Amino acid sequence: MVEWLTMTIQMVSLAMAGWCLVSTFRDQPMLVPHLVGMGVLWLLVIGQAVATVATMVGGDTPAETAMFVSYLATVVLLPPACAVWGFMERSKWGPAVIAFACLILPVLFVRLEQLWSPVA
Amino acid sequence: MTAKTLRTGPGRLLVAVYGVFALAATARGVYQLATKFEEAPVAYLLSVFAGVVYLVAAVGLARAGRTSRRIALVSCSVEMVGVLAVGAAGLLFPSAFPEDTVWSGFGSGYLFIPLVLPALGLWWILHVHRLDRDPEIP
Repeated sequence: MVEWLTMTIQMVSLAMAGWCLVSTFRDQPMLVPHLVGMGVLWLLVIGQAVATVATMVGGDTPAETAMFVSYLATVVLLPPACAVWGFMERSKWGPAVIAFACLILPVLFVRLEQLWSPVA
Repeated sequence: MTAKTLRTGPGRLLVAVYGVFALAATARGVYQLATKFEEAPVAYLLSVFAGVVYLVAAVGLARAGRTSRRIALVSCSVEMVGVLAVGAAGLLFPSAFPEDTVWSGFGSGYLFIPLVLPALGLWWILHVHRLDRDPEIP
């Protein structure tokens, strides 16, 4: 886990959540800018996952590997799954789905760091 | 007849939340069963059961049709009963539930979402059901 990347992901995720909540309350559906934002967030998460897997391949593994990997898989899959699900909905509830996903993501990263935070 | 389904509008968000909870509860339960089954088999089996019920509810809500709606209604009811029963049991017999499940303490370990979620789910299913019968209601 690259620490500054985790911080960035959490900040971007919360910003996305705030933005999508505003869209929800303004009665706007999910638009292409939202999708681009989710894409950027997803790339950051993938970057973090790749860096983490690289560390693990390098021989340094967490104590509870199975648990850690399942959390890692969840954070990688959550943004695209929710983005698709939200984008299918053409009402204000589309951004609401993204807001939910973006509020869950930072919490998942806190759990990930609790499970394993190797000192780089 | 208009295809008013459970997965549109607020239902869209509901399915997403149910999906995440299904994943969380099932994964947690399976992990607990696999690593420390002997410590509290009842609690861990309950975790897996809760996860499966969330999964069934998510699928029931996400799919159109009368049968899916009934499945969603039943699974949300099971959840409601489950979270109330396990929460009450934890208060009455604290020793019976040594390990936390999603339903322990009325879902307090998960911000009480397990308690609120089935209530919202039931409300939404009944709301859509009424809309279908009487399209005049906005």
